[in-house]
Order: sequence, then structure tokens, then C-alpha cells
Amino acid sequence: MIAVDDIAKAFGKRREIAAVAGVSFTAADGEITGLLGPNGAGKTTLLRVLATLLRPDAGTATIDGRDVVRDRHEVRRNIGVLSDARGLYPRLTGRENIRYYGTLHGASGAALDARIDELVHALAIEDIADRRAQGYSQGERMKVAIARALVHDPHTLLLDEPTNGLDIMSTRALRTLLHGLRDQGRCLVFSSHVMQEVTALCDRIVILGHGRVVAAGTAAELVAHSGAATLEDAFVALLGSGEGLAA
Amino acid sequence: MMAQTRTGGSGAARIATVARKELVDMTRDRRSTLLTLMPAIAGPLFLVLILQLVSSQSDRSRELTLPVAGQDNAPALVAFLARQQVNVTPAPADYDARVRAGDLDIVLAIDPHFAADVASGRPGTVRLVYDRSRDRARAAIDRTEALLRAFNREWGRARLLLRGVSPDVANPLSVDAQDVATPQSSGSVVLFLVAYYALFAALLGGMAMALDATAGERERASLEPLLATPVRPVELALGKWLAVIAFDGIVVALTLTVFYLTLRFAPLPAIGIPFLFGIHELLRFVVVLLPLIALVGAALLYVGARGRTQKEAQANVSLILTVVAIVPLLPMFLQRKDPAWLALVPVSGQYSLLSRALRGEALPAIDLAMSWGVCLALAVLALLLFARLLSRESVLAGE
Repeated sequence: MIAVDDIAKAFGKRREIAAVAGVSFTAADGEITGLLGPNGAGKTTLLRVLATLLRPDAGTATIDGRDVVRDRHEVRRNIGVLSDARGLYPRLTGRENIRYYGTLHGASGAALDARIDELVHALAIEDIADRRAQGYSQGERMKVAIARALVHDPHTLLLDEPTNGLDIMSTRALRTLLHGLRDQGRCLVFSSHVMQEVTALCDRIVILGHGRVVAAGTAAELVAHSGAATLEDAFVALLGSGEGLAA
Repeated sequence: MMAQTRTGGSGAARIATVARKELVDMTRDRRSTLLTLMPAIAGPLFLVLILQLVSSQSDRSRELTLPVAGQDNAPALVAFLARQQVNVTPAPADYDARVRAGDLDIVLAIDPHFAADVASGRPGTVRLVYDRSRDRARAAIDRTEALLRAFNREWGRARLLLRGVSPDVANPLSVDAQDVATPQSSGSVVLFLVAYYALFAALLGGMAMALDATAGERERASLEPLLATPVRPVELALGKWLAVIAFDGIVVALTLTVFYLTLRFAPLPAIGIPFLFGIHELLRFVVVLLPLIALVGAALLYVGARGRTQKEAQANVSLILTVVAIVPLLPMFLQRKDPAWLALVPVSGQYSLLSRALRGEALPAIDLAMSWGVCLALAVLALLLFARLLSRESVLAGE
């Protein structure tokens, strides 16, 4: 369970660029919460705050009751992060890349091997897992990065645009995987600027625009709230324009 | 099963994990590894070449072959030269041109009127033809000039004695030179190369790895997800540091070992280097270099982490290396005994300690302790700065 309360974060020498300006929302266990918004809406900054990588200028955020600033070391043990930067080590194999993170999370031995095998199978990367990462395609890199984020079996998952670079089959496989994790009662937060992605995957949607929450709710609630006929019309109505929304 | 709270591993286990991963990552990079190890093997070969060069020059000075034109004009001088073990040969007719072309180092030409001049009480004239700009010829020139001075002195003494005057009248100053160079210090001029080389092995051995583990990690965008794992910045800093100093240590150990084996077993010319580089010197080198390795690793990591890309970090590091390379040369410009503070400056201090080890001097415990203290204190400082940098948000601004 994630609770975000009035988080603000600005960048620049004089903090003149407000990336997130007072965002509040909650993401419940057993649900996939989608952060939807055009480029520059503050999705990545918000996820970085939740991943304990950035300190908010104001407001608080907790994950399972732990503050992302004060208890950041505790939080890091219990979250899986697919951040905007998802570089792999090109000279290590996919399996070694995943194992590195597993070991840093305190796993080892046969249990870790079994967990890696499980993920390799679930993401269908058996054929590339023992090759060095430098030859991977964008989609292969993404899948290994997702496996890496899941290696310690985290209760909370923060995924920044996880379908970027994936083909249709891989996207469907990922969707199945994420739905399975949700059904186990985990808390998933997922960001995207692709409306179809969010509607296909998410139980609840938080729409961000210019660093603020524009609207939040299920797809049906958003349509009703905006008075539009379709979800797409609802987004355009809520954001004030179709700016940045990929069709 | 869902684990709501995890204990995670211990900090020490995470440090070991980071160190192991960095070492594996480095050795997978065959090119960088080879480029780093190559100088360790090339260095000793370079040294053997230099020793051969020095020995061929000292051979020249010992066995002087002197082409002489007009030998018949001054038989006494030629006989004197022969007594001094000089191999006197007839000079070719075109000796001027041959010296200019570099075929001959030096030629002594005796004036045809030599005997007549001497008989009539005038000084006899000889002409020396040489090119002093040729390093190779310098030993022969110096030796010939010294021999001619000696002949001149001997002849003059004989004349004074004939006239009943003590030769001391013409030599009021007696110079008694005393060379205090130990056998080791005279031969080890060349071996200072060993000190310089060992120092540079320590400086360069960990560079590729340190930059890859910091600026490289930022450039590849692998640092951000790493910082969202339980590994703490200070653990990350320590793990990377251990890996870098382990690799750097291996490079230094390899360099010293190859030096030791080369100097011990390679067919080296006998040029009065009585000590060479034994196990004792090797161990003293290790003791002197260890704290420097610790410092260099930490400093490279800090500087590397400040670079957003490897290219940027490399530019910063080369600037630092240039400064570092000049520091040991400082005493040369000062033209006096090293000031005391210089021994405390890293690199320069190590250079002076290594030189003393090679000269066969004792290394006082207090000097070693000071050098260790300064290096380790700076290493801790660099590590803390590095760890603080890793916990700063600005380090995420990679792209």
C-alpha cells in the first residue's frame, strides 16, 4: 500500500522547475495503479521519489507505512524498481545481471538460482539469459531489467514505462505476469503515456498533468466524472487538450 | 509466500558482492585488462635495453681506439698512449669528413712540424677532431683530452726536474677528490627507472576499472537502479574501492615480480650494478607502495564519479596524472636536497622512499609511518567524498 501526500519536487539552481507540485494519491494492495500523463507531467519524478532516489521538497510518501525518506533503507528492501534508467552491465550475462541484484538483496545459493530460473521462464528469455547483455535488443534489455526488479520477490513494484520497446507478444506476456502479481495481493504502480496500455492493465488510474493530479479513479469513474463518451475523450477533457497523449 | 519485512544480507556481504562483480566485470573486458597489464611486462624489457645501452657506452670509454694521423711526427706521444692501453690506429686520409659523418668518434692529428717545434722550444701542436654533440663520442673525447693533459703534465714535470725546479712550484693546488658514492648508489642511477615505473604501475593499474565503475556506471544508466537496492552508498563505495585496489595491487605485484625475475635471470651486462633488485628490495617496494595504492584507488573513484561520461572522467584524470607525474621532478628544479615536506606529499614521498630503498639506505620507521598516515588519511577522505557523491541526487543526472 502506497500513500502519497502532497509531494512536491522542483529542480534547477533556484528550484524554478517544478516537476511535481503537490501530488496526493494512494495505491492499494492487490491493485495495479496507473500513472498516466503526457511527457513532462512528473511521472518519472514521482516514481523516483517513491523509489527513494529523490527527496521530496515537501509532503510525505509511505510504502507499507514506511516513510520513503526516513526509512529509505527499509523501503529499498521491499520494493522492486524498474526506473527510467535501466542500464544493464554489458559484459555480464542476463542471468549474472539478475543475480547481482538478487545477491545485493541478500539472496544466495539454490534459492536464488531457482528464483532466477522462474523469472527467466516467466519472461521467456531462456535463449538469451546466458548471453552477454551487450548484444541485447531493446526489448531483451527491458525483459532482463524487469526480471532484475522482481528477483527479490518484492511486495511493491514501481514500473516506469515498462512496455517501452516491447513487441506485442512480450507486452501480452508482461501483462499476464503483472496480473498474476496483482492477484497475489501485491501493490503495483505503473506509469505510461500510452492510454491503451493503462486501460488494458490498470485497475485504477491517476491522471497527471503539469505535476498535479488532474483526476483519479477507475476507467468508468473517469468517464462519468468528465461527462465524456469515451475514455479518450475523457482524457482530453480532463487534461484540457490532447497534448502529448499518444494514440 | 510474501515476505513483508526482510532482514536482507549484511553490509559486509553486500560490499563483497559489489567487489566481486566489479572484478568479474573488469576481467571480462579483455582489451582494457591487457592494455593495463602490458606495461608491466614491457617495462623490464625496456630497462634491459637501457642497461645494454649504458654498458656499451662504458665499454667504449674503457677500450679507447684512437685513430692518429702523423704518428711518426711524435713517437713519444704515441708510445705514451700505447702505455695507457689506447689502441692507436692510423687515421684515414679523409678523417675530417669521416668524423663529420659520424663514422669516427675522434681523430688525433699530429702536426708535421711537431718535432721541429719542440726541438726549438715552442709547444708542439696536435689537433683533435670530434663532434661533441654526439652522445656516443663523448666518452672517447673526454678520455683522449684527459690523456693529452696527462702527457702534457708528465712532460712538463720532466722538463722542470731537468732544470732543477720542483714540479710542486708549478702546481700550488693539490686536488684530492673523494667519491662517497656507495657501489649501490653509483649503479642505481639507471635503476631509478624501476622506482618511477613501479610508481606509475600503481597510478595507472586501477584507472580503467575505477572509471568504468563510476563514470561508466553513470553513462550506462545502471547506477540509478543500483541505488534503489539495499546497497548503501558507503557500501557501494567500499566494494568498488576494494575491487580497484585489488586489481591495482595485482598490476603492481606483477610489475615488481617481472622486474625481479628480469634483473635476476636475464643476461645483463656487467656495468657495476652490484645489487640489482632482490627480494629484500621487492618487499620494501611493496611496503612503500601499499598506502599509495589505497589512496590512488579512492581518488580515482571520486574523480571518476564526478564525470557524467567516461570521456569526461578521463579528461579530469589525465589532468591529475600530469600534475602527479611532475611532482617527483620538483627536487630537480629546486637544485638542492629535498625539502622535508616533500616526503609527505603522496607520490613524491613514495618516490623518495623507493629511491632510498634502491640506494640501499635504511627506511626509518617514522618516515614510513608518516607516509602511510598521510596516504591512508587522504584515502579515507576520498572514500567519504565518493560515498557522499553517490548519495546525492545530482549523481542520477547521467544522461
